[in-house]
Amino acid sequence: MKDASIDNLIDDLAGDLTPVRPRRVARGSLWVAAGWVGGAAALIWIFGMREDLAVRGMPPLSMLAFWLTAATGLAATWSALRMGLPGVGRDYGGWRWAVGASLSLPLAALAACIADGHAAMEAARHGFGLRCLVQGLASGLGVGAALFFWLRASAPTSPTRAGWVIGIAAGAAGATIVALHCASDDVVHIALWHGSAVLFSAVAGRLILPRFLRW
Amino acid sequence: MSFDEPSLARLMTASQRGDRAAYRTLLVGCRRWLERYFARRIAPHHIDDLVQETLVSMHRKLATWDSGRAFLPWLAAIARYRWIDMLRRQRDEAELGDNDAAVGAGDEAVHARLSIDHLLALLPPKQAQAITLVKIEGASIAEASQISGQSESLVKVNIHRGLKKLAELIESE
Repeated sequence: MKDASIDNLIDDLAGDLTPVRPRRVARGSLWVAAGWVGGAAALIWIFGMREDLAVRGMPPLSMLAFWLTAATGLAATWSALRMGLPGVGRDYGGWRWAVGASLSLPLAALAACIADGHAAMEAARHGFGLRCLVQGLASGLGVGAALFFWLRASAPTSPTRAGWVIGIAAGAAGATIVALHCASDDVVHIALWHGSAVLFSAVAGRLILPRFLRW
Repeated sequence: MSFDEPSLARLMTASQRGDRAAYRTLLVGCRRWLERYFARRIAPHHIDDLVQETLVSMHRKLATWDSGRAFLPWLAAIARYRWIDMLRRQRDEAELGDNDAAVGAGDEAVHARLSIDHLLALLPPKQAQAITLVKIEGASIAEASQISGQSESLVKVNIHRGLKKLAELIESE
Protein backbone atom coordinates (compact mmCIF):
# COMPACT_ATOMS: atom_id res chain seq x y z
CA MET A 1 0.00 0.00 0.00
CA LYS A 2 2.76 2.37 1.00
CA ASP A 3 4.85 1.30 -2.00
CA ALA A 4 1.98 2.18 -4.29
CA SER A 5 1.51 5.54 -2.63
CA ILE A 6 5.20 6.42 -3.07
CA ASP A 7 5.00 5.36 -6.73
CA ASN A 8 1.96 7.61 -7.16
CA LEU A 9 3.75 10.44 -5.40
CA ILE A 10 6.74 10.07 -7.73
CA ASP A 11 4.43 10.17 -10.75
CA ASP A 12 2.68 13.27 -9.40
CA LEU A 13 5.92 15.09 -8.63
CA ALA A 14 7.40 14.24 -12.03
CA GLY A 15 4.23 15.45 -13.73
CA ASP A 16 4.34 18.66 -11.73
CA LEU A 17 7.94 19.50 -12.69
CA THR A 18 8.68 22.86 -14.23
CA PRO A 19 12.14 24.25 -15.02
CA VAL A 20 13.77 26.01 -12.09
CA ARG A 21 16.46 28.66 -11.97
CA PRO A 22 19.17 27.46 -9.58
CA ARG A 23 19.69 29.88 -6.71
CA ARG A 24 23.10 31.53 -6.69
CA VAL A 25 24.85 33.01 -3.69
CA ALA A 26 26.14 35.80 -5.96
CA ARG A 27 22.58 36.93 -6.67
CA GLY A 28 21.73 36.91 -2.96
CA SER A 29 24.90 38.92 -2.28
CA LEU A 30 23.68 41.64 -4.62
CA TRP A 31 20.44 41.97 -2.67
CA VAL A 32 22.37 42.20 0.60
CA ALA A 33 24.72 44.80 -0.88
CA ALA A 34 21.70 46.78 -2.02
CA GLY A 35 20.25 46.59 1.49
CA TRP A 36 23.54 47.75 3.01
CA VAL A 37 23.98 50.66 0.59
CA GLY A 38 20.30 51.57 0.86
CA GLY A 39 20.46 51.67 4.66
CA ALA A 40 23.61 53.82 4.56
CA ALA A 41 22.15 56.18 1.98
CA ALA A 42 18.94 56.59 3.98
CA LEU A 43 20.74 57.30 7.27
CA ILE A 44 23.19 59.75 5.72
CA TRP A 45 20.42 61.44 3.76
CA ILE A 46 18.29 61.93 6.87
CA PHE A 47 20.92 62.59 9.54
CA GLY A 48 24.05 63.47 7.60
CA MET A 49 27.58 62.07 7.53
CA ARG A 50 30.12 62.70 10.29
CA GLU A 51 31.89 65.90 9.39
CA ASP A 52 35.47 64.68 9.42
CA LEU A 53 34.81 61.69 7.20
CA ALA A 54 35.06 63.56 3.91
CA VAL A 55 38.00 65.67 5.06
CA ARG A 56 40.51 63.41 6.80
CA GLY A 57 38.76 60.09 7.36
CA MET A 58 38.04 58.37 10.65
CA PRO A 59 40.53 58.36 13.51
CA PRO A 60 42.39 55.04 13.85
CA LEU A 61 40.32 53.63 16.72
CA SER A 62 36.99 54.32 15.02
CA MET A 63 38.40 52.97 11.79
CA LEU A 64 39.48 49.77 13.52
CA ALA A 65 36.06 49.37 15.14
CA PHE A 66 34.40 50.02 11.79
CA TRP A 67 36.35 47.31 9.98
CA LEU A 68 35.96 44.80 12.79
CA THR A 69 32.20 45.31 12.71
CA ALA A 70 32.17 45.22 8.92
CA ALA A 71 34.10 41.93 8.96
CA THR A 72 31.57 40.48 11.37
CA GLY A 73 28.72 41.61 9.14
CA LEU A 74 30.34 40.25 5.99
CA ALA A 75 31.16 36.91 7.60
CA ALA A 76 27.64 36.54 8.98
CA THR A 77 26.16 37.53 5.62
CA TRP A 78 28.29 34.97 3.80
CA SER A 79 27.30 32.25 6.27
CA ALA A 80 23.60 33.14 5.99
CA LEU A 81 23.70 33.09 2.20
CA ARG A 82 25.40 29.69 2.19
CA MET A 83 22.89 28.31 4.68
CA GLY A 84 20.28 28.66 1.96
CA LEU A 85 21.97 25.99 -0.16
CA PRO A 86 22.12 22.97 2.13
CA GLY A 87 24.64 20.16 2.13
CA VAL A 88 25.79 17.77 4.82
CA GLY A 89 29.38 18.52 5.72
CA ARG A 90 29.29 22.16 4.61
CA ASP A 91 30.76 24.60 7.11
CA TYR A 92 28.63 27.65 7.89
CA GLY A 93 30.60 28.66 10.96
CA GLY A 94 32.94 31.34 9.56
CA TRP A 95 30.91 34.10 11.22
CA ARG A 96 31.88 32.77 14.66
CA TRP A 97 35.52 33.77 14.10
CA ALA A 98 34.57 37.29 13.07
CA VAL A 99 32.25 37.65 16.07
CA GLY A 100 35.07 36.38 18.30
CA ALA A 101 37.47 38.94 16.86
CA SER A 102 34.98 41.78 17.28
CA LEU A 103 34.61 40.91 20.98
CA SER A 104 37.92 42.74 21.34
CA LEU A 105 35.85 45.95 21.26
CA PRO A 106 33.80 45.32 24.41
CA LEU A 107 36.92 43.91 26.05
CA ALA A 108 38.80 47.12 25.27
CA ALA A 109 35.84 49.11 26.61
CA LEU A 110 35.87 47.03 29.77
CA ALA A 111 39.58 47.70 30.20
CA ALA A 112 38.90 51.42 29.79
CA CYS A 113 36.17 51.22 32.44
CA ILE A 114 38.49 49.46 34.86
CA ALA A 115 41.26 51.99 34.23
CA ASP A 116 39.02 55.04 34.70
CA GLY A 117 35.42 54.22 35.55
CA HIS A 118 34.23 57.81 35.88
CA ALA A 119 35.61 58.91 32.51
CA ALA A 120 34.19 55.79 30.90
CA MET A 121 30.71 56.46 32.30
CA GLU A 122 30.88 60.04 31.02
CA ALA A 123 31.92 58.77 27.61
CA ALA A 124 29.10 56.24 27.59
CA ARG A 125 26.56 59.00 28.36
CA HIS A 126 28.04 61.37 25.80
CA GLY A 127 27.15 61.14 22.13
CA PHE A 128 23.42 60.34 22.01
CA GLY A 129 23.90 56.67 22.84
CA LEU A 130 20.32 55.51 22.62
CA ARG A 131 19.89 57.30 19.33
CA CYS A 132 22.91 55.43 17.93
CA LEU A 133 21.36 52.15 19.04
CA VAL A 134 18.01 52.86 17.39
CA GLN A 135 19.69 54.13 14.23
CA GLY A 136 21.88 51.04 14.12
CA LEU A 137 18.89 48.72 14.43
CA ALA A 138 16.91 50.62 11.79
CA SER A 139 19.84 50.90 9.35
CA GLY A 140 20.41 47.15 9.40
CA LEU A 141 16.85 46.33 8.41
CA GLY A 142 17.70 46.36 4.69
CA VAL A 143 20.39 43.71 5.11
CA GLY A 144 18.19 41.72 7.50
CA ALA A 145 15.27 41.77 5.06
CA ALA A 146 17.46 40.74 2.12
CA LEU A 147 18.88 37.77 4.04
CA PHE A 148 15.49 36.80 5.43
CA PHE A 149 13.83 36.66 2.03
CA TRP A 150 16.82 34.84 0.55
CA LEU A 151 16.66 32.15 3.22
CA ARG A 152 12.89 31.94 3.19
CA ALA A 153 12.99 31.03 -0.48
CA SER A 154 15.94 28.68 0.08
CA ALA A 155 16.36 25.67 2.37
CA PRO A 156 18.04 26.52 5.68
CA THR A 157 18.36 23.29 7.64
CA SER A 158 18.80 25.03 10.98
CA PRO A 159 16.26 27.86 11.21
CA THR A 160 17.38 28.74 14.74
CA ARG A 161 20.99 29.24 13.73
CA ALA A 162 19.84 31.08 10.60
CA GLY A 163 17.83 33.48 12.80
CA TRP A 164 20.91 34.23 14.91
CA VAL A 165 23.12 34.78 11.89
CA ILE A 166 20.64 37.03 10.07
CA GLY A 167 20.34 39.10 13.25
CA ILE A 168 24.11 39.42 13.64
CA ALA A 169 24.55 40.37 9.98
CA ALA A 170 21.79 42.98 10.15
CA GLY A 171 23.06 44.43 13.43
CA ALA A 172 26.67 44.57 12.26
CA ALA A 173 25.60 46.21 9.01
CA GLY A 174 23.58 48.75 11.01
CA ALA A 175 26.55 49.42 13.31
CA THR A 176 28.86 50.12 10.35
CA ILE A 177 26.27 52.47 8.88
CA VAL A 178 25.90 54.37 12.18
CA ALA A 179 29.69 54.71 12.33
CA LEU A 180 29.46 56.84 9.16
CA HIS A 181 27.19 59.28 11.02
CA CYS A 182 28.18 59.16 14.70
CA ALA A 183 31.05 61.49 15.56
CA SER A 184 32.06 59.75 18.78
CA ASP A 185 35.49 58.12 18.73
CA ASP A 186 35.32 56.73 22.24
CA VAL A 187 35.74 52.98 22.55
CA VAL A 188 33.20 52.77 25.39
CA HIS A 189 30.54 54.55 23.34
CA ILE A 190 31.25 52.44 20.26
CA ALA A 191 31.28 49.14 22.16
CA LEU A 192 28.23 49.96 24.27
CA TRP A 193 25.87 51.67 21.87
CA HIS A 194 26.97 50.52 18.44
CA GLY A 195 27.76 47.03 19.74
CA SER A 196 24.33 46.83 21.37
CA ALA A 197 22.76 47.12 17.92
CA VAL A 198 24.45 43.82 16.98
CA LEU A 199 23.41 42.19 20.24
CA PHE A 200 19.76 43.33 20.13
CA SER A 201 19.47 42.49 16.46
CA ALA A 202 20.91 39.01 17.01
CA VAL A 203 18.48 38.29 19.85
CA ALA A 204 15.56 39.62 17.80
CA GLY A 205 16.62 37.42 14.87
CA ARG A 206 16.77 34.38 17.12
CA LEU A 207 13.39 35.05 18.71
CA ILE A 208 11.38 36.20 15.70
CA LEU A 209 12.71 34.61 12.53
CA PRO A 210 13.03 30.80 13.00
CA ARG A 211 9.29 30.14 12.83
CA PHE A 212 9.16 31.90 9.44
CA LEU A 213 12.19 30.05 8.12
CA ARG A 214 10.87 26.53 8.66
CA TRP A 215 9.85 24.65 5.54
CA MET B 1 20.42 1.60 -13.63
CA SER B 2 23.01 2.42 -10.98
CA PHE B 3 22.31 5.46 -8.90
CA ASP B 4 25.76 6.70 -8.05
CA GLU B 5 26.71 10.31 -7.36
CA PRO B 6 27.62 11.30 -10.97
CA SER B 7 24.41 9.72 -12.36
CA LEU B 8 22.22 11.42 -9.78
CA ALA B 9 23.95 14.77 -10.36
CA ARG B 10 23.41 14.46 -14.12
CA LEU B 11 19.75 13.57 -13.60
CA MET B 12 19.32 16.52 -11.24
CA THR B 13 20.87 18.94 -13.73
CA ALA B 14 18.40 17.71 -16.37
CA SER B 15 15.56 17.93 -13.83
CA GLN B 16 16.34 21.55 -13.06
CA ARG B 17 15.94 22.21 -16.77
CA GLY B 18 12.49 20.62 -16.69
CA ASP B 19 13.20 17.10 -18.06
CA ARG B 20 10.37 15.04 -16.52
CA ALA B 21 11.69 11.63 -17.56
CA ALA B 22 15.05 12.38 -15.97
CA TYR B 23 13.28 13.68 -12.90
CA ARG B 24 11.19 10.55 -12.53
CA THR B 25 14.32 8.41 -12.73
CA LEU B 26 16.01 10.70 -10.22
CA LEU B 27 13.10 10.37 -7.79
CA VAL B 28 13.23 6.57 -8.04
CA GLY B 29 16.95 6.68 -7.28
CA CYS B 30 16.44 9.10 -4.41
CA ARG B 31 13.72 6.90 -2.99
CA ARG B 32 16.07 3.92 -2.86
CA TRP B 33 18.82 6.00 -1.31
CA LEU B 34 16.45 7.52 1.26
CA GLU B 35 15.05 4.13 2.25
CA ARG B 36 18.56 2.97 3.07
CA TYR B 37 19.38 6.25 4.80
CA PHE B 38 16.34 6.18 7.07
CA ALA B 39 16.51 2.42 7.69
CA ARG B 40 19.60 3.01 9.79
CA ARG B 41 18.04 5.88 11.70
CA ILE B 42 14.38 5.35 12.52
CA ALA B 43 11.89 2.64 13.30
CA PRO B 44 10.74 0.83 10.11
CA HIS B 45 7.11 1.91 10.36
CA HIS B 46 8.19 5.57 9.94
CA ILE B 47 10.39 5.07 6.89
CA ASP B 48 7.78 5.38 4.15
CA ASP B 49 6.32 8.54 5.62
CA LEU B 50 9.73 10.15 5.92
CA VAL B 51 10.73 9.11 2.40
CA GLN B 52 7.55 10.72 1.04
CA GLU B 53 8.04 13.89 3.08
CA THR B 54 11.65 14.16 1.93
CA LEU B 55 10.74 13.67 -1.73
CA VAL B 56 8.12 16.43 -1.46
CA SER B 57 10.61 18.76 0.27
CA MET B 58 13.19 17.97 -2.38
CA HIS B 59 10.63 18.83 -5.08
CA ARG B 60 9.86 22.17 -3.41
CA LYS B 61 13.54 23.06 -3.02
CA LEU B 62 14.95 21.88 -6.36
CA ALA B 63 16.41 25.31 -7.04
CA THR B 64 18.65 25.15 -3.97
CA TRP B 65 20.96 22.52 -5.46
CA ASP B 66 24.08 24.04 -6.96
CA SER B 67 25.34 22.00 -9.91
CA GLY B 68 28.90 22.85 -8.89
CA ARG B 69 28.48 20.74 -5.74
CA ALA B 70 27.83 17.09 -5.04
CA PHE B 71 24.20 15.92 -5.11
CA LEU B 72 24.07 13.38 -2.28
CA PRO B 73 25.17 15.78 0.51
CA TRP B 74 22.34 18.07 -0.63
CA LEU B 75 19.83 15.22 -0.51
CA ALA B 76 21.21 14.08 2.85
CA ALA B 77 20.81 17.60 4.28
CA ILE B 78 17.13 17.64 3.28
CA ALA B 79 16.62 14.11 4.63
CA ARG B 80 18.25 15.04 7.93
CA TYR B 81 16.08 18.15 8.18
CA ARG B 82 12.92 16.07 7.72
CA TRP B 83 14.21 13.54 10.25
CA ILE B 84 14.79 16.27 12.85
CA ASP B 85 11.36 17.67 12.05
CA MET B 86 9.82 14.26 12.69
CA LEU B 87 11.64 13.99 16.01
CA ARG B 88 10.29 17.40 16.99
CA ARG B 89 6.76 16.44 16.01
CA GLN B 90 7.04 13.28 18.06
CA ARG B 91 8.24 15.37 20.99
CA ASP B 92 5.22 17.63 20.67
CA GLU B 93 2.67 14.86 20.33
CA ALA B 94 0.10 15.04 23.07
CA GLU B 95 -0.60 11.33 23.13
CA LEU B 96 2.90 9.96 23.39
CA GLY B 97 3.23 6.37 22.37
CA ASP B 98 -0.38 5.85 21.37
CA ASN B 99 0.24 5.75 17.64
CA ASP B 100 3.39 3.72 17.61
CA ALA B 101 3.06 0.15 16.49
CA ALA B 102 5.32 -2.38 18.14
CA VAL B 103 8.39 -3.33 16.14
CA GLY B 104 9.44 -6.91 15.74
CA ALA B 105 12.93 -8.24 16.20
CA GLY B 106 13.55 -8.71 12.49
CA ASP B 107 16.61 -7.51 10.61
CA GLU B 108 15.09 -4.16 9.74
CA ALA B 109 14.36 -3.30 13.33
CA VAL B 110 17.81 -4.35 14.39
CA HIS B 111 19.43 -2.16 11.71
CA ALA B 112 17.29 0.82 12.66
CA ARG B 113 18.43 0.44 16.22
CA LEU B 114 22.08 -0.05 15.41
CA SER B 115 22.50 3.40 13.98
CA ILE B 116 20.47 5.35 16.48
CA ASP B 117 22.12 3.56 19.36
CA HIS B 118 25.21 5.74 19.21
CA LEU B 119 23.01 8.84 19.49
CA LEU B 120 21.01 7.38 22.36
CA ALA B 121 24.26 6.65 24.15
CA LEU B 122 24.86 10.39 24.29
CA LEU B 123 21.62 10.96 26.25
CA PRO B 124 21.18 10.51 29.99
CA PRO B 125 20.32 6.81 30.56
CA LYS B 126 16.75 7.39 31.75
CA GLN B 127 15.92 9.54 28.72
CA ALA B 128 17.45 6.97 26.37
CA GLN B 129 15.54 4.17 28.08
CA ALA B 130 12.20 6.00 27.84
CA ILE B 131 12.71 6.76 24.14
CA THR B 132 13.84 3.22 23.38
CA LEU B 133 10.86 1.64 25.13
CA VAL B 134 8.12 3.94 23.78
CA LYS B 135 9.39 5.31 20.49
CA ILE B 136 11.37 2.36 19.18
CA GLU B 137 9.93 -0.74 20.82
CA GLY B 138 6.37 0.56 20.79
CA ALA B 139 5.54 0.12 24.47
CA SER B 140 2.78 2.22 25.98
CA ILE B 141 3.60 4.87 28.57
CA ALA B 142 2.20 2.61 31.30
CA GLU B 143 4.30 -0.36 30.16
CA ALA B 144 7.41 1.79 29.91
CA SER B 145 6.75 3.11 33.38
CA GLN B 146 6.47 -0.43 34.73
CA ILE B 147 9.61 -1.67 32.96
CA SER B 148 11.81 1.31 33.75
CA GLY B 149 10.59 2.01 37.26
CA GLN B 150 9.94 5.65 36.31
CA SER B 151 6.55 7.24 36.98
CA GLU B 152 4.35 7.74 33.90
CA SER B 153 4.79 11.50 33.99
CA LEU B 154 8.55 11.08 34.30
CA VAL B 155 8.56 8.79 31.26
CA LYS B 156 6.76 11.52 29.29
CA VAL B 157 9.13 14.21 30.51
CA ASN B 158 12.17 12.08 29.68
CA ILE B 159 10.86 11.37 26.18
CA HIS B 160 10.19 15.06 25.63
CA ARG B 161 13.63 16.13 26.84
CA GLY B 162 15.41 13.24 25.17
CA LEU B 163 13.86 13.89 21.75
CA LYS B 164 14.73 17.56 22.03
CA LYS B 165 18.34 16.72 22.83
CA LEU B 166 18.39 14.09 20.07
CA ALA B 167 17.24 16.66 17.51
CA GLU B 168 19.99 19.04 18.65
CA LEU B 169 22.59 16.29 18.41
CA ILE B 170 21.58 15.38 14.88
CA GLU B 171 21.48 19.04 13.85
CA SER B 172 25.00 19.60 15.09
CA GLU B 173 26.38 16.52 13.32
